[in-house]
Amino acid sequence: MEQQIKELRERAQGAINSASDLKELDEVRVKFLGKKGELTGLLRGMSKLSAEERPLVGKIVNEARAKLETLIAEKNSELKASELQKKLASEKIDVTLPGRRVHEGHLHPLTLTLNRVKEIFVSMGYSVEEGPEVETDYYNFEALNLPKDHPARDMQDSFYITEDILLRTQTSPVQARTMERHKDNEPIRMIAPGRVYRRDDYDASHSPMFTQVEGLVIDKGISFADLKGTLEDFSKKIFGEKTKIRLRPSFFPFTEPSAEVDVSCVMCHGEGCRVCQGTGWLEILGAGMVHPDVLKMSGYDPEVVSGFAFGMGIERIAMLTYGLDDMRLLYDNDVRFLKQF
Amino acid sequence: MQVSTKWLKDYIDIDLTADELAEKFTLAGIPVENVIHAGEGLEKVVTGKIEELKVHPDSDHLLICQMDVGEENLLQIVTGAPNVKEGQIVPVALVGANLPCGKKISKGKMRGVASNGMLCSADELNLEIENLPEEQKIGIYILPEDTPIGVPAAEVLGLDDDILEFELTANRGDCFSVIGLVRELAVLTKKIPRYPQIKFDEDDERKAEDLVKIGIDAPDLCSRFSARVLTNVKLAPSPDWMVKRLEGAGMRAINNVVDVTNFVMLEMGQPLHAYDYDKVTWHQLTARRAVEGEPLHTLDDTNRLAKGGELVIADAEKAAGLAGIMGSFESEITEATTTVILEAASFNSASIRRTSRAVGLHSEASGRFERGTNEKNTIAALDRVAQLLQEMDACKVCKGVVDVYPNPKPEVKIKFTSAQINQRLGTNYTDEEIVEVLEALGFEIDPTNKVEELTDEVVDKFAAATKSIGKAARKIGEKSNVEELMKNLGSTFGGLFKNADKAQDAGNDSGVEDFVKNISDTFGGIAKTVDMKIASAYETIVPDWRNDVKLPDDLSEEVARIFGFDTIPSTLPKGNQQGRQSATQTFIDKIKSILSSLGMCEELSFAFTSEAMFDKMRIPADSELRRAVPIMNPLTDEAPLLRTTLLASIFENTARNFSRKNEDVRLFEVAPVFFPKALPVTELPLEKQKLAGLLMGRREPKGWSQNPAQVDFYDAKGIVEELLAGLSINNYFVEAGEHYALHPGKTAIFKKGRDVLVTVGEVHPAVAEALGIKKKIYVFEADVETLQRFAAKKFSLESLPKYPSISRDLAILVEHDTAAGEVEKVISKSGGKFFKSVTLFDVYTGERIPADKKSLAFAIEFRSNERTLKDEEADEAFKNILAAVEKDFGATLRS
Repeated sequence: MEQQIKELRERAQGAINSASDLKELDEVRVKFLGKKGELTGLLRGMSKLSAEERPLVGKIVNEARAKLETLIAEKNSELKASELQKKLASEKIDVTLPGRRVHEGHLHPLTLTLNRVKEIFVSMGYSVEEGPEVETDYYNFEALNLPKDHPARDMQDSFYITEDILLRTQTSPVQARTMERHKDNEPIRMIAPGRVYRRDDYDASHSPMFTQVEGLVIDKGISFADLKGTLEDFSKKIFGEKTKIRLRPSFFPFTEPSAEVDVSCVMCHGEGCRVCQGTGWLEILGAGMVHPDVLKMSGYDPEVVSGFAFGMGIERIAMLTYGLDDMRLLYDNDVRFLKQF
Repeated sequence: MQVSTKWLKDYIDIDLTADELAEKFTLAGIPVENVIHAGEGLEKVVTGKIEELKVHPDSDHLLICQMDVGEENLLQIVTGAPNVKEGQIVPVALVGANLPCGKKISKGKMRGVASNGMLCSADELNLEIENLPEEQKIGIYILPEDTPIGVPAAEVLGLDDDILEFELTANRGDCFSVIGLVRELAVLTKKIPRYPQIKFDEDDERKAEDLVKIGIDAPDLCSRFSARVLTNVKLAPSPDWMVKRLEGAGMRAINNVVDVTNFVMLEMGQPLHAYDYDKVTWHQLTARRAVEGEPLHTLDDTNRLAKGGELVIADAEKAAGLAGIMGSFESEITEATTTVILEAASFNSASIRRTSRAVGLHSEASGRFERGTNEKNTIAALDRVAQLLQEMDACKVCKGVVDVYPNPKPEVKIKFTSAQINQRLGTNYTDEEIVEVLEALGFEIDPTNKVEELTDEVVDKFAAATKSIGKAARKIGEKSNVEELMKNLGSTFGGLFKNADKAQDAGNDSGVEDFVKNISDTFGGIAKTVDMKIASAYETIVPDWRNDVKLPDDLSEEVARIFGFDTIPSTLPKGNQQGRQSATQTFIDKIKSILSSLGMCEELSFAFTSEAMFDKMRIPADSELRRAVPIMNPLTDEAPLLRTTLLASIFENTARNFSRKNEDVRLFEVAPVFFPKALPVTELPLEKQKLAGLLMGRREPKGWSQNPAQVDFYDAKGIVEELLAGLSINNYFVEAGEHYALHPGKTAIFKKGRDVLVTVGEVHPAVAEALGIKKKIYVFEADVETLQRFAAKKFSLESLPKYPSISRDLAILVEHDTAAGEVEKVISKSGGKFFKSVTLFDVYTGERIPADKKSLAFAIEFRSNERTLKDEEADEAFKNILAAVEKDFGATLRS
């Protein structure tokens, strides 16, 4: 009997080792350990043994069963691992094939730029004001100290609807309208973003319609130094912390003193390059202290309050930010262009 | 305005380079647009004399020159030019020269003979060849015999001059002259200028006033008209120095008389005109308005007809010139001229500007008048012309000036305080600094004149105040009088104290005491400020050349620009305000964000359109969309109208994309359109914010495993549905509709009550064809205000279901033209209280069902919010739904 068990155990071990897949292994298990298996059969034959032999043989049989079960379990996980390996190998794909894309939408680069400008000023306490794009001569020019025949009107060739109605040439009329809505020298801190129109040919640096942001602050004790500080702050936020600004005296009928404002070149940081034509500076906006006549015309008392105003072209800022060299790209709306932002 | 640095240096000693000058001017508000370096590249070119000339031993065309270039030793240079001779003086490029023609000069050997430089031709020096005599055009440029040796060639050639090109601002007419610029430069460099001394003899005994009559008939357009008479005029070319100055300023020399008037205009800023005395009928000149249709034969030999109203200078018979713009052909100075009437006048800038634009003539003179000249300066300018011509021996000068100046310009006086200036600038300049700058700029400031009125005013106010306070102090405790006192004080001081109201509250003694203390403090403060004001109050007289300075604010600019804007500190406005944007702005931002998240690209387009576009879009002739606002002066005839629909823009952009082979296009735009309230336009048009979107091309981006199908109506409709969901617009309905530019069978209108939310559809094939787009296009459009009106104001969260739902599928056969939307409506209505949703998941037509039928399959969901629903309840509801669709649409259950 002992011999028989030993022999069976060896045969079983051999069968387990040579099983090549899980199915075969299971057959081996059934063959030796199943209900009708050989080892079970041997156990049944134990009844013929003497009472002394029985526990002894029983022990051997159980040992053999335990041993075989362990072997089968080991073999089982070995086979499982190798089968998974095979499955994974067979599932290999070409990961260099492009992914499945969806149509992506984009905001226009001018909207992105304008949003950034708005965000900066709103965080500085400015409200965003709007006004009509078709304006009266009064709001577009006269309320800004530009009477008819003023030579500065030459700077802005306008599209006229009638003698007294035109497409606004600047967003400054929104300033006058906003001031008129306020009473009693109430403080104002506003920007007016919007589309403006000038009768310029459509080329790489001109467009008959473009986007402007005008800013206005009115309060007691507002000074030119406040204007300078504000523009410095804004320039750093939009062009980066290293940005410097330079103010050059200029002339606008609606401000006094007036300044053209340059920022240190965003490309070369003032070293001089193609973008800044070697000067190290880029002109980005016009600004100044609100002219007392402008305050008076819109119901403010220049003896009590003062203010500053500034105006900038969003196209210019977008072109500098994104490195565009032709303004027409912005209004051609070629989808290949729009999809890059 | 352009001027050579040499001309500036005639009047002031400065050792700045042209670039430094440009920067100085620019940073002081006199912008220099461009600097032209005439002598660039000639730094190492000197004059040299050919001391000895020998033929090269190994060449038949090379010559060996021993050059005297002003150094101790002669310089050996080999040249190939045949036109040189011993004793000539020529330009010599020394070793190291980097010539404007691009040649770099280094030590070298030519056929074994050392050569240490190069003799230069006109071409190599970048001289203007056309203006040279024939013999100088080729070969080495030969200098005059008396040319000094060893000096920079640029100097000898007149190329050591740099030109500053100014882009003057509209307010600084005073800088439209050399003297004006020198005046600024003197302040900026703190140097003393040397203005020309005007000296001449009135050497013709006749009196000017006996020879000419001058009149002003339009004093509003001509404020001053001064004239001199010059006799024995001898026309000749101008001397070299004057020609150079004029050329440096960009003007051509003509003859001495014309040149001198131009020179003086450039120098002093006062335009002048010379008339041939004998051609002026009755020797009489009058500034008057032209009569409509009056002939004008101008200097450029052009016959014009006056529009009427423009200012002309006329003789007894006819107009002798457009005032300030161009003289007449008849009275022009010629060889035959012997006597000249010289005009220096002051004309109204607006009128000159109007006329100059109307006739399209812009001259140096008109440019100056447009910015405003200094009318106090006319006689000085006449005198300067007389002086210069007399110095050239070109004329005699008659006695006296004829000067018509009916309303002399009053002095402009400004009261200001240094505190005012510092407050506006945010600076701390001292009184001395401010006064020094202003005085340097020509402002007269009398330090003893401390604005007495202000002092008087303050004294009066204080007297009254003291009285009132005294009274108040005595009346403390007499409550009844406090009110009266306050009224008194209030009326005395007006806005000075607003806390007058507080007096009303002063119900007890201690309150009144506080109040009085308050008043004293306030007055103490006022007294202090006033003290300061008095101490630094000034009155100044604005110099007569500064037409632009009228207010203390203007003075602050003068102070700031001379000290430099870089000396002003940077601060931020004090106080806090809340930044915000309007609800509409936020709503538009939301639309843009939703659409871009749905794969749509934002376009921005011009607001212009045209009738032709309306035709392409099939807008009916009687549609209000045709009633567009016309632009009086459009940029092109192709865009003469303001758009009334955004579709015009989006179509145009799509057509452009299609022509560039971009066939997958998904665009949207939010922008205003314009509707006139009346035509012709009499008031501002209505501006309405609109939204338009467009889809064309592939449903999915092109790719190896992507769906190659093209977008269709339902893609566009899906975008609209997502948009409305994103905007929280619910409970709308959709019906088939009509739209001029859309396919009659593929147009849907989203509505809420009678209001149209969105129209969506396939673009009419005729429109697509007219646009040149050979693809199907789908568009939608909406009115932003309407969308905003229906967008839910509050966010409402639907809580997640607590109990499971039961789903039933309903597949029915209906007539082919039954609208699925209608069936859905009936399902929703008949579904009972547990009905939650219906989703159409299949539409089928084909072989397996009759040809006139279609199959619709809906997934219907039932749920209770209180408990788990029983199957029987769902079955019951389903039965009702089925009955309803059978009844309403003759639907049969599909087996």
